[in-house]
Amino acid sequence: MIAFDFNYIKPATVAEANQTYTMVHDQGDHAMYFSGGTEIITRARVNELKVDTVIDIKEIAECTVMEVQDDKLVIGAAMSLNHITNSNLFPLLGETIKKIADHTSRNKITIGGNINSELIYKESVLPLLLVDAKVKLVKGTKEKIVPLSSVFDKKLKVQAGELLLQVIIDTEYTKLPYASLKKTRFSKVGYPVISAAAIVKDKKIRIAFSGVCEYPFRSQEVENILNDSKKSVSERIEKAINSLPTNVLDDLQGSNEYRVFVLRNMLYDIMEEMGMGE
Amino acid sequence: MANKIWTTVGTPEQRIDAVEKSTGKVRYVGDYSVPGLMHAKLVKSTQAHARITSIDTTEAWKIPGVRAVVTGEMFPFHIGPILADRPPLAFEKVRYYGEPVAIVVADHEHQAKLATTKVKVEYEPLPIVNSVQQAFQQDAPLVHENAGQYTKIIDNVYPKSGTNIGSHIKIRKGDFDSAWASCEETITANYSFNLSDHVALETRSTRVEINPAGKVIVHSCSQSPFTIKKVLNQFFNVDVGNILVHIPMVGGAFGGKGTVQLEPLAYLASKAVGGKLVKLEFDREEDMITGPCRIGLDATVQLGATKEGKLVAGKYTYLLDSGAYSDQAAGITRAAAIDCTGPYHIPNVWCDSYCIYTNHPFATSFRGYGHPELTFAVERTIDQLAKKLQIDPVQFRILNGIKPGHTSPTQTGLTANNIGDVEKCLNRARELIKWDEGQKIEIGKNKVRTKGISLFWKTSTTATNAQAGAILTFEADGSVNLNCAAIELGQGTKTVLGQILAEKLGMDMKKIHVTMETNTQYDPHQWRTVASSSTFLAGRAVISAAENAIAQLKKTASIVLQCTPEDLEVGGGRVFLTPDPTFGVEIKDIAIGYTYPSGHSIEGQVVGVGKHVQRHLTPMDEQTGFGKPGPWWSVGVQAVEVELNTRDFTYSILNAVTVLDGGTIINPMTATQQMRGGMYMGLSYATSEKFIFDHNGVVQNTGLRNYPVLRYGEQPAEYLVEFIETPAADGPFGARGIGEYGVIGAAACLANSLSVGTEVELTQLPLTPEVIWQAKKVEKQ
Repeated sequence: MIAFDFNYIKPATVAEANQTYTMVHDQGDHAMYFSGGTEIITRARVNELKVDTVIDIKEIAECTVMEVQDDKLVIGAAMSLNHITNSNLFPLLGETIKKIADHTSRNKITIGGNINSELIYKESVLPLLLVDAKVKLVKGTKEKIVPLSSVFDKKLKVQAGELLLQVIIDTEYTKLPYASLKKTRFSKVGYPVISAAAIVKDKKIRIAFSGVCEYPFRSQEVENILNDSKKSVSERIEKAINSLPTNVLDDLQGSNEYRVFVLRNMLYDIMEEMGMGE
Repeated sequence: MANKIWTTVGTPEQRIDAVEKSTGKVRYVGDYSVPGLMHAKLVKSTQAHARITSIDTTEAWKIPGVRAVVTGEMFPFHIGPILADRPPLAFEKVRYYGEPVAIVVADHEHQAKLATTKVKVEYEPLPIVNSVQQAFQQDAPLVHENAGQYTKIIDNVYPKSGTNIGSHIKIRKGDFDSAWASCEETITANYSFNLSDHVALETRSTRVEINPAGKVIVHSCSQSPFTIKKVLNQFFNVDVGNILVHIPMVGGAFGGKGTVQLEPLAYLASKAVGGKLVKLEFDREEDMITGPCRIGLDATVQLGATKEGKLVAGKYTYLLDSGAYSDQAAGITRAAAIDCTGPYHIPNVWCDSYCIYTNHPFATSFRGYGHPELTFAVERTIDQLAKKLQIDPVQFRILNGIKPGHTSPTQTGLTANNIGDVEKCLNRARELIKWDEGQKIEIGKNKVRTKGISLFWKTSTTATNAQAGAILTFEADGSVNLNCAAIELGQGTKTVLGQILAEKLGMDMKKIHVTMETNTQYDPHQWRTVASSSTFLAGRAVISAAENAIAQLKKTASIVLQCTPEDLEVGGGRVFLTPDPTFGVEIKDIAIGYTYPSGHSIEGQVVGVGKHVQRHLTPMDEQTGFGKPGPWWSVGVQAVEVELNTRDFTYSILNAVTVLDGGTIINPMTATQQMRGGMYMGLSYATSEKFIFDHNGVVQNTGLRNYPVLRYGEQPAEYLVEFIETPAADGPFGARGIGEYGVIGAAACLANSLSVGTEVELTQLPLTPEVIWQAKKVEKQ
């Protein structure tokens, strides 16, 4: 049970959502956009989160689209993970997010919510970073479409009240060869020890990770090392492991050293799967 | 009885609660609401060990709807089932993270919950006792300064002041030291694992009111209704006759609902609001941390044998992590000593079993009562010794398995009646797991299939006067109501008792109505629904009640039929002449008395009463453990086959075998399901579960987000369950208890299997790929 009272608003338009946010904010209260609700509800229940007003975006038309428009795949922020997977419009994304939580939760969890998650994993970001996805953000009456990588640094950096409306992907990317691997502590369902997504474009591997550091990332340096065909695969892998952005994570899902062990195996498997093994 | 062909006993009757449960219509205790119901929520300790310097409730009182705030100093006394060492609400100091510190009572649950966040408790941290190994050291900080001063509630508990020892049970059989010196092959091994949780689907919940006449009415999801009465009487000074406990169906318990924790808290809460009905329901996180959990263990096992592989000597040191309070851990300490060897014939036994206080959440009974834990240590050591002796692990177990004529560690004589058949179980399990095809088979690059086996036993250490009663009443249609205080917690006990009654009365199961709930005011006393004892105790009581009813039916019928009761038999809903079964009277015509055409009536209704009490059990001798602690030992064998990736140590469980000698199996379907459920639970524990503590003793995985349990779909691909039915002469229709047994060998056989596959001796739980990787790494160094 959630102990505190809060307002629940379900606007029909982006403008209404923004107005509501501004109004609550101007009153000195705390507002949050609400999509699947899985994190807000569970965290509020254990007193980890407090909010005065939640603004549910699931009735906003722009947030619930999922279609190919010309050469772009447009996915609304309020689309559930299961919807995206079942559409099969972007197999790498579908497969990666299918490994998040359990089936029942994925009926609720949305892609916008997962990108904005308070948890450190945010696995839906991995394929999006690989395919240079863009995001449509709106604040007040101002809409903008920008590369995800320009606003995602460890987490989605948006201004107060700015709403993530859509994710936009060039369809050419959705047809590239890919790999999606995840290792958990034991169960198939769980936070990653390591989760990785990869594609090959123009014979170069692109790879992004979750569970390696305290945030999901794609590293140019790591990719350059892995694509350095002058070196043996094992040399590349060892060098990549030594060139991660930070120390490897050490938490309940796995110790630092164990994660390195899992990461190494996973890199071999991905290189193999992508036809770049020895 | 034995040469009659049974009609209901031994058949897979459908569970009598199946329809209600599968349609979601069962109301559990937390599902009830009534006007005026008040809600209690707990303020819990944020520290694992600290002095409470102040509790400020000012802000909490400002929350609308708050009616009372109860703190520890309002009831500064200790309670407990074995040793009274636990204050219901902490006072002076807290001893574990999550310990109840205060209760807030409000009109609505959300008000109470919000108010708990406003109670300001200040602590002065104390040094943390964060493991049994640390607790056992001489200069360790003390969790209880004066453990020796606490009141002993039952025999066989030996706390030591100035230490963290809550109890110490000794077994001294034969002459270990001389025997050890003469052994030709020996092994010493150490094992350890943390506390974990029951994770019953239904979290603990209770409602308590004190009515204007002074009656205390408790509704709870408890395995121990009569213990609730005892506790409220003993520690809260309420007349035992003024306490009424009502238990509806319980949504899973696994030993965790044997402890009386919520009821005293709700009683104090009700008292604080003038006796109004107060509900206290744990959230999942509270159920896991604030409520009692499962013991942790550090075990050192030494085994010595002859060259030919005959076991000669065994020494067992068990340090049980009981957490902050002894609760049932003190009893588990005793149970672990009683069965310390596992089902092996070892002439010279030395065991020290310690109940150790730490600053962890407190532990209570968990399905198996110490046996899954000791079996992990013993069976891993047996495998290692067999390897040293170069004897096949199954053969080694057959060679040393315990048999009638041997004695148990407490020197109880074993007979064909009180112990199952070890060798038969081993041989059948060996066939089912296809042991002889090879314990390790390579099936591809980095892939092996391996098998592991585990032998196990358990006796039920009930109170020496543990008992049950049953009352039968009859309906006008000749059907029968069965009332007894065995609690239905999903184990199927009410179905089995119904079958025993149907068999005894020669009646169709449809004619038996078993009351699913329990009410201490009209159900006869039953010890508790724990220790796999209900089929035995309540089953015997039902038989005795049925015999009593039969005598009454025969008496009435003999008048009607103008013969003697001895001429008559009961069956098929009738009482009839033995030599001429067509001459008889229907039970429906005599069950509530027989009425002649003239209107004259005779005898009145039949009320069958029956009871059964344990016989000839004794406490144990303090110095040697000598005594007869339990009525019988069920034995069994479990085995698994796993598919292991030898590169990254991930694995899946292919087959899981249980062969149990449970005496006569009353219901083969529910018994099989018990074994499957038990293995599932044991494998979940073995693969996934443990509490993780930081260096401050704070639990890091307090909820199901970070405390994984095995999920549906991750169970073994196939369960193979079979029973060996060596009848127990004094059990109902020859049955023994089986409820806990499916869980006991699971962790051990999995670890044995993975040890073979990974070629490293695994000594820790849970067996995650990381734990295996770690063991391999240590071995390399």
